[in-house]
Amino acid sequence: MTKQTKRQLTDSHIALAHGNGGRYMRELIEKLFAYHLSNELLDTQSDAACLPVPSGTSEILMTTDGFTVEPLEFPGGNIGSLAVHGTVNDLAVSGATPLYLTLSAMIEEGLEVAVLDRVLESMAQACRESNVRVVAGDTKVLRRGQGGGIYFTTTGIGVKSPQLCLGLDQIQVGDVLLLSGSVGDHGTAVLLAREQFGLSGDLHSDSASVLPITQALTAISGLRFMRDPTRGGLATVAHEIAVATGNTVRLHETQIPVLDPVRAVCDMLGYDPMYLASEGRVLAVISPESAQAALERLHALGYAEASIIGSIESGVARVILATELGGERILAELEDDPLPRIC
Amino acid sequence: MPTDAKQLLEKIRTLALPQNVRIMNVCGGHERSIAMAGLRTALPKNIELIPGPGCPVCVCPEEDIYQAIQIAMNEQVILLAFGDMLRVPVNVPKAAIRTLEQAKAAGADIRPIASPSEALTIAKAHPASTVVFFVAGFETTCAPVAAMLTEGIPKNLLLLMSGRLTWPIVDRLLTSDTPAFDALIAPGHVATIMGADEWRFVVEQHHLPTAVAGFTSESLLAAIYSVLRQFIEQKMFLDNCYTQVVNAEGNRLAKQLINTTLDIVDAPWRGIGVVPQSGYELTSTLAEHNARLHFPAYADAARQRAGLMPPGCDCAKVVLGKIKPLECRIYGEPCTPRNPIGPCMVSDEGACRIWWAAGLRKEQVTQADLV
Repeated sequence: MTKQTKRQLTDSHIALAHGNGGRYMRELIEKLFAYHLSNELLDTQSDAACLPVPSGTSEILMTTDGFTVEPLEFPGGNIGSLAVHGTVNDLAVSGATPLYLTLSAMIEEGLEVAVLDRVLESMAQACRESNVRVVAGDTKVLRRGQGGGIYFTTTGIGVKSPQLCLGLDQIQVGDVLLLSGSVGDHGTAVLLAREQFGLSGDLHSDSASVLPITQALTAISGLRFMRDPTRGGLATVAHEIAVATGNTVRLHETQIPVLDPVRAVCDMLGYDPMYLASEGRVLAVISPESAQAALERLHALGYAEASIIGSIESGVARVILATELGGERILAELEDDPLPRIC
Repeated sequence: MPTDAKQLLEKIRTLALPQNVRIMNVCGGHERSIAMAGLRTALPKNIELIPGPGCPVCVCPEEDIYQAIQIAMNEQVILLAFGDMLRVPVNVPKAAIRTLEQAKAAGADIRPIASPSEALTIAKAHPASTVVFFVAGFETTCAPVAAMLTEGIPKNLLLLMSGRLTWPIVDRLLTSDTPAFDALIAPGHVATIMGADEWRFVVEQHHLPTAVAGFTSESLLAAIYSVLRQFIEQKMFLDNCYTQVVNAEGNRLAKQLINTTLDIVDAPWRGIGVVPQSGYELTSTLAEHNARLHFPAYADAARQRAGLMPPGCDCAKVVLGKIKPLECRIYGEPCTPRNPIGPCMVSDEGACRIWWAAGLRKEQVTQADLV
């Protein structure tokens, strides 16, 4: 599909007819989806994409993720950029180079076309930045009240060198934990954007591709494992590591970057930033010998807040946070959404 | 972290205490700060920090919650409550509706809010509906409610008041046979409004070391250091370790607003009983906004009994600082934030929920050093 130079959007809002398989749907796909996402591999007329496999590839990685964020647009991103970053990042932290995405879009009747247009523009921008292409897609229109405006599902395909062995099973006692930036920015920014609490703040989601980080780290020997701390936050990833390795993860509170506005919102509403989502950070486990080099590499790339935040110790499978005062507290598995405080 | 906090910790460690000292706090915010900073693990073992009555949701009478559920289920109203309140169970058979959350799921129009101003916004947005605002809170909540009442509220906004004063429950503990604490950290937020002097009675009548604290580790440690020094030297005075916002007499305007809109009444505390002059109720001039008077049919006199915590639940003892959350018979099994039996496991101000959130579990004996 060649990019159209001129387009006119006939409708201002999505109607059920945009999912009817006929002209309305063709217009929706051509004037919005293909307009933004077109590339030489995306053929909206065919039923399946034919994809070249890079020479020398022996391992293909695949992942899928659904996106239901509310509100659809928030400071620092929207559901379009998020749907690319989320899937690209899952491939990236697995050590892969992401190549292709599919996009399944569930759109609610009544959605403003202008919103969809902005979302797809961000999606296209995010694809360009990560050098991935949307190669297949599907759209459905849901009845009014049956969807949150837009739901996206993206499936990603990437390739990885078989020499690179990453995983929870690679982690050893004595390894250290490296975090690429501040925690909880995305969770807090979305929370505030919902305006549920009557608060406002100068806070942006950290939603971004982590490829520059993972590509830098995979070049360093001694890398064991990477994960992006999304839902459930840093504490949840640390907990997964503790359970999988059967050892204690010790984190140092003073080393974990938390932005002041994130801390302020958490203090006010009773949230713990250790459990709030990031969408552009990496937690890496790496051998102690390589940790300093990895940290310096990230600093050199501009990730100024990257920090060594803890280590794996032999002991009971749990996460201990050494607090600023030299006290300790256990970070337990997240149970439910925290409630707003009342006084 | 200001180095002051570490210095204070060092100073506390060098104090020669003649015996174990039990220091009570009466604010969920304090307990949360203590738990999250791991203060108990950093302090010497002979200093015991005890969470006391600092959770308004935890002591909100069962019959008030029951009444709120009944109003929401049976009347054409929008019922507003603070988020914590929605999951607190009442003592009815399992098949019946036990929480506001369940009433909401069953179709009642119940909306969680985070501040009194939201109640005003919602009432104005729905002029044709009756809006009932279920107000459970301490002075810190009642002051903004009083301000809202003073400015005038729309006719369709009714209040179900379950406001409580903090100091009378502490007085009650101190006049009982077993106060279970040797020193008091007075609540910083409450003192901001009511003034530090409100806590002078602890020193003057009961001769206990007392200090008002803020919510940073530094402020809490300063208060702990102060009460320990007072204890050692046996020279008691009311110390203010939160001078940034707390003065002796408090916020005059806020107190005046409370005085003109709210009466102080004898009030029941869940699981504890009636505490004289410990509750806030709307004055008679605001009777037309009083949900209790508007819906008298749902006040069930038979429910007004003390000790109405669920069977097996030790929340009342936890609230009064008689036991710690880990000593409750049902902490963690079966009572968890996912399946809360008692109110202390529901509210973010509740000691059990705070301890659970801080990772404290009964079965992990290795955690003995973390309590």
